[in-house]
Amino acid sequence: MATESIDYASPETKSKVETKVFPRPGQHVTGIVDWLTTIDHKKIGLLYGLTALFFLLLGGIEALLIRSQLWSHNMEILTNRQYNQMFTMHGTTMVFLVIMPLSAAFFNFIMPLQIGARDVAFPRMNTLSLWCFFAGGITLNLSWFFTGGAPAIGWFGYAPLTDTRFAEVMGDMGPDFWVFSLQILGIASLLASFNFITTIINMRAPGMTMMRLPVFTWMTLIVSFLIILAFPAITIALAELMFDRTYGTNFFDFLEGGKPHLWQHLFWIFGHPEVYILILPAMGIVSEIIPVFSRKPLFGYGLIIFSGAIIGFMGFAVWSHHMFTTGMGVVATSAFSILTMLIAIPTGIKIFNWIGTMWGGRIRFDTPMLFALGFITMFMIGGFTGIMHSSVPIDAQHQDSYFVVAHFHYVLIGGALFGLFAGFYFWLPKMSGRLMNEKLGKLVFTLMFIGFNVTFFPMHYLGMIGQPRRTHSYNEGHGFEAWNQIATIGAFVLGIGIAIGIYQFVSSFFNKKLKPAGKNPWDARTIEWTLSSPVKEYNFARTPIIKSRDQAWENNYGPKEKHAQQEALGDHGVHMPDHSWCPLVTALGLFVMVIGLLFRQTIEFAELFIATPYEIAIAGGSLFVLGIVMWALEGPGGYHLFPKETEE
Amino acid sequence: MRRLLALFTRATIATILFTTLFGCSRVDHKQSALDPKGLVSQNQYDVFMLSVWITIFLFCAVGGCLLYVLWKYRAKSKEEAMEIPPQSHGNSKIEASLILISALILVILAIPTLQGVVLMNRVPDANDEETLKKLNLDRSQIEGAITVNVTGKRFFWVFEYPQFGIVTANELVFPANKAVRINLRTEDVIHSFWVPKLAGKMDLMPGQENFMWFIADQEKILSGKPTTEAMPSVFDGKMRQTVFAKQKFSDEFEPVGGLFYGQCAEFCGNSHAYMSFRALAQTDQDFDSWVKRFQNSQNPNLQPSAYNPEEMYNQGAIVTFADKSLGEQAQREYRSTKKIAKAEAPNLSEKSWIKAHSDDYELGKQLFSSLQCVQCHAVNRTGIGAKGPNLTLYGLRTSLAAGWMRNDEKSLSTWLRNSNEVKFGNLMWNGEGVDDTHPLRQLENDDEKVNQLIAYLLGQI
Repeated sequence: MATESIDYASPETKSKVETKVFPRPGQHVTGIVDWLTTIDHKKIGLLYGLTALFFLLLGGIEALLIRSQLWSHNMEILTNRQYNQMFTMHGTTMVFLVIMPLSAAFFNFIMPLQIGARDVAFPRMNTLSLWCFFAGGITLNLSWFFTGGAPAIGWFGYAPLTDTRFAEVMGDMGPDFWVFSLQILGIASLLASFNFITTIINMRAPGMTMMRLPVFTWMTLIVSFLIILAFPAITIALAELMFDRTYGTNFFDFLEGGKPHLWQHLFWIFGHPEVYILILPAMGIVSEIIPVFSRKPLFGYGLIIFSGAIIGFMGFAVWSHHMFTTGMGVVATSAFSILTMLIAIPTGIKIFNWIGTMWGGRIRFDTPMLFALGFITMFMIGGFTGIMHSSVPIDAQHQDSYFVVAHFHYVLIGGALFGLFAGFYFWLPKMSGRLMNEKLGKLVFTLMFIGFNVTFFPMHYLGMIGQPRRTHSYNEGHGFEAWNQIATIGAFVLGIGIAIGIYQFVSSFFNKKLKPAGKNPWDARTIEWTLSSPVKEYNFARTPIIKSRDQAWENNYGPKEKHAQQEALGDHGVHMPDHSWCPLVTALGLFVMVIGLLFRQTIEFAELFIATPYEIAIAGGSLFVLGIVMWALEGPGGYHLFPKETEE
Repeated sequence: MRRLLALFTRATIATILFTTLFGCSRVDHKQSALDPKGLVSQNQYDVFMLSVWITIFLFCAVGGCLLYVLWKYRAKSKEEAMEIPPQSHGNSKIEASLILISALILVILAIPTLQGVVLMNRVPDANDEETLKKLNLDRSQIEGAITVNVTGKRFFWVFEYPQFGIVTANELVFPANKAVRINLRTEDVIHSFWVPKLAGKMDLMPGQENFMWFIADQEKILSGKPTTEAMPSVFDGKMRQTVFAKQKFSDEFEPVGGLFYGQCAEFCGNSHAYMSFRALAQTDQDFDSWVKRFQNSQNPNLQPSAYNPEEMYNQGAIVTFADKSLGEQAQREYRSTKKIAKAEAPNLSEKSWIKAHSDDYELGKQLFSSLQCVQCHAVNRTGIGAKGPNLTLYGLRTSLAAGWMRNDEKSLSTWLRNSNEVKFGNLMWNGEGVDDTHPLRQLENDDEKVNQLIAYLLGQI
């Protein structure tokens, strides 16, 4: 079914080609250049996913080292500083380099398909966001190799521990790497979010009203808004921290009148919406999967979306529940306590509605459904312990104990990661064109489900009998040993499960023995399933005209008047944009500039370089500006494809 | 039916296993929040258990519903999996009632939560009889409250008793029958004060003073046993003896009554895990004796002075005489064996004066200065050396290195020889100005000096 594509230039496009200042790589680039210059949302999504899975392995190894160190009392697998670096890097990696980009991978790949668009609104900006994420990940992990090693400040980086005054290694650069990598990652997230919002609002296919949007796309929209509202807070906090560290300002330096409380407020007013940034995409995925495998539409579609929006909105009003023990006083703690309890209601609604969806359905237990059900049960436990923490007297005992560790891993692994794995098992056939082995998938689920619960359930108990978190060692006589050993064994089982899963995802792109997926292997309901698998580079040969909410389902089973129609192809064909080097150059410039700025702070390391850090920063900055200028001047370019009438 | 039966058996076995597993594991661990021994922690425990029952109920209800749905509506065959069930889109009546029910359940938790917030932040008013009665407190327990200013340092604790003018470190002695007000301060980064059995944690924020309070439940601590066993006195060393005699270090389930374990709960740097402490409950009398003893040993006016022939000395009085055997200008403490009249015994004689301390103690005392220990540690609070933990009455302490080790000769010897091996990154080994040339670092193979230092330190009683 090869597409017959013809190069075509109508009189209008010809004149545009002439205004090109720089030639852009055209449609015929292949191999590595294709991937480096791609602006196709599907390839960007795959790169996001692959990189995030790599970081998942890396963060997982860090987690296993942490668990090994806690095997018994006074273990010496890691020194205390190494351990502190491990949990800092584990936390930062898992939040910013795994769960967020995995969600972004699905946003990129699936969302434009679900709204019937041919790409996102700003394809090159999308690429820039990918390479910024890449640069941020590299920057963070480069810290291992320089003075002081990786940051040992926790993923929350509480002031004043981050202050140079309290550095435990002379000239510790870890926190600087942390600050700058988070800034770059922030740019990546912001660019992507603006892009997704514009795309969803402007590029929906005709007939795709907001209340016909698939729930996953709705969650993309909500999460994107959360990102653009939450990230400025941490950007400001990080900039202030950078100023404190580099120029000796006193935002957080209490000896000079600064306020360590300020950092916590800024961090958590970002950090709590961040929790929903991590969990809402998974909720969106699960809301797609459950109707498909129950063969029923989502129960209470409107309410699920409304509760998602309410969760996002209220997420900005509960940040101080991370600070119940910082001495905010009776009134503030009570207010945040009640608000936090309220947020349980919209979360509960989602669970009720998922069960309502299954009610009266014909439930199939394929791997995506198993992960989705795992999500519901595990997330429920995480939610319940969350309600406990919303109560201040309970939180006074739980805060910073292993109970909290158990709680947020139930939300972030049992919730977010299980949801994302469900998404992989659900949508990978659409991405790779091949069905994955069900038996292997079920093995992965079993290993992960058992491993996860064996690891984290005992931690509730460990927290209650007094094991504080972020401690690299514990003394004998506390009775922590047995449960920690169970947890460590569980962690390895979980690790094996995840590793097999990642192998299965990656190999499904190369293993030719796997069965072809066909257009709609699950008999799913949304319009991405009307496309061929893998999806053609132009997505929709002809833009669909949407008539109902579950369009693919209605096309198959609905009445005639609800079937989608297609717009005529026209003599323009499908306009495809050219590849571009500019996003990569811009991101590279940013990366080099950041490295220069980083080393500016420690003079001793200047000798390592051929140039001084100062010059490197300027060179990087110039490259950055050059990238943007070239971007502006290279012109739109593009080519046209003419899929046959029969092609979807 | 047979499958159902098999499933049922399996579920039963799982439940039995689960309950035995948890039944076997006791909850009175050293830092267990499940074994509250104070008013505040009891309240927190009660609210917690309420939330546990609420959530177990919800989990069973929602989870049971989920299981029912999964079982009832599972596709039993390939054909059935292809059937199209009625495409219903929702039911607003069900949804509204579920929202209402969840809101109601939250109210059940919200009320005790708000009461708990007030309780943990505010010591009840001594004049508010109604509240005191409700909390089962006596007026005197509030009126006689003691105040402790807690200062967190990396990585140990300073406990200052402003009412009594004394400062100690790492072991908080308090009267079991009185409220204890805690003011929390820090001189470096954020720490968190947590004694799970007495109260939940509160952070020590730089540039801000936080407050918490607790009151132990003396009856619960004693639980019918005599005071000497359940709450041995600190001031005469009984607590230390009992702890050492009764407790192997690894013994987790036989804590000595009145001994509570606490730990820093906010990440504060390299050795955060080692920043623990202990809280020792005492009867009112024992507490007073301890304070008295502490005040006396911190009082520079009560330090022994050189023998003065113009003075009269009671039996047991301590004076100093020059002792060349300890060094050129060394003074040594002697105790009178009888009542000594003016100018009666100006010279050392076995009959009237005996050495107050062993030779090792005296030499250790000199070492304490010459090895620069005194730079950071105050004994007899002279004003200098407050960088490290105060070592007054050190010989009465049960633990060493901020609660990390048992305070006996053996661990003290390990600690003095190479503290970095015990507690990597500690400031005694790594602090400012301490390098390989520092005299402290020469102790590793010097048995003699180590023993002398131990004699001096454990002689602080």
